Amino acid sequence: MRRSLPAVLVVLVGLVLLLDLLVANPTLASLADALVELVVILFAAAAVLGAVALAVRHGRAVALPADDRIGSVVVLVGMAAVLVPGLLAPEGAAAPAVRWVVGALLVPLGASLLALVVIFLVPAARRGMRARPAETGVLLGAACVMLVLLLPLGGAVGDVTGAAADWLLAVPVRGVLAGLLVGAAIATAVFAARVVFGLANVDD
Amino acid sequence: MTERLRRIGRFGVRRWLPAGFVLLIGILTALGGSAGIGWPTSAQPSAAELHALLAAPGRDRILVAFDPDVGTYAEVRPAVRAAFAQLVRAGATLSVVSFTPEGRALAVAELDRLRRGGVEEARLLDLGFHAGAEAGLVAATSRLVPAGASGALAEAVRDAGGGIAAFDAVLVVGGGDIGPRSWVEQVGTRLPETTIAAIVPTSLLPQAVPYRSSGQLDALVAGVREASAYVAAVRDDPAASAAREAERVDDAAPSALPIIAGALLLLVGLADAIAGRWRRDAA
Repeated sequence: MRRSLPAVLVVLVGLVLLLDLLVANPTLASLADALVELVVILFAAAAVLGAVALAVRHGRAVALPADDRIGSVVVLVGMAAVLVPGLLAPEGAAAPAVRWVVGALLVPLGASLLALVVIFLVPAARRGMRARPAETGVLLGAACVMLVLLLPLGGAVGDVTGAAADWLLAVPVRGVLAGLLVGAAIATAVFAARVVFGLANVDD
Repeated sequence: MTERLRRIGRFGVRRWLPAGFVLLIGILTALGGSAGIGWPTSAQPSAAELHALLAAPGRDRILVAFDPDVGTYAEVRPAVRAAFAQLVRAGATLSVVSFTPEGRALAVAELDRLRRGGVEEARLLDLGFHAGAEAGLVAATSRLVPAGASGALAEAVRDAGGGIAAFDAVLVVGGGDIGPRSWVEQVGTRLPETTIAAIVPTSLLPQAVPYRSSGQLDALVAGVREASAYVAAVRDDPAASAAREAERVDDAAPSALPIIAGALLLLVGLADAIAGRWRRDAA
């Protein structure tokens, strides 16, 4: 019973939302709206609970000598740096202190972390060439081709690379991705049908 | 000694090769069309499509779904600001909403920039952050304006139904979890008449391209190449006015150069990894 209850709930909610898309009925529409509102509230509650759990976990880590105290302090200070000005200032997230944290710290940090991918990709490629040369060679070759074609160039050279990139994106890449999307949709539909007919559980 | 010098020389060449490439591209770019290379121009089809879509008559009330990723926002920022500049020039109103916390933080900064740039408060509407990820997006199809929102624009949106259908077009700034795919799947199916355009970083290019090809996205500018072309299209627009800061369009070159340098650095590294393998196989 405990295992089938979530499945029954998922099926019922899914059917109501699906029927709301297919049938124009005010009662059904208000029921579907209420369910969507409930999901939104659950999401918000989960986010708040997640933040509280993170603070409690790192608060405990600060108190315990064996844990990574410095890391936990950094996490707590980072949370406080955004939360406290946002909660105290009447502007909320638009408070100048929050804007400064986002503009001067978060965005540059995020961009820097992403830029490190370039650095770490080369050693990863080296290791990949040692472990699985054929597969990694194909992967790196395709990556190199796309990298060159997507460079922001204009003029005659840019026209050629642009046309080639457009063709690659429109034909092979689109074909593969469309196949993936259709495949994922079919797999989801089959799984949903298995749940509806009791052949599988939602947590499978 | 000779072997050592050769090794140092080889290392030096490999080390400076990316910088040399970038310098070469810089020189060729400076030479302009005569060298057959330059920055992307506004003739790029995707850039021209977005430019035409935002310039079309009747695009007075624009909803900006602002959910970029902090890490990749720098890549699309020139194109996003160019789109804002184009819309501000055209006299459109901008209502900004976010469905991710990261997007909200960046949206606040961009709204502040628009206000400081001289855009009238009456033409901006901050719709805030909507929780619930895709469920929040579904809920927004019927209720988008927060209870506390006031002003003529907020009232006009409420009078027009208060949901996404109250807008003439949606400009999705993607990069985070809620992007063009979510908009097409959750909003496009419920409100098929909605015009949806998107600006996304290169990482979302493969995911967004099928939706553009199928026509579910009305315009798509993805990656630096198309973003540079769109920026050029807006910059070259004769309707440009130098009077307002918000209409200023950043040059795409400063953001494109490090990308070219990084790409070349990566290419040389990857080629070196492949060559190393071949050398080991030959030995």
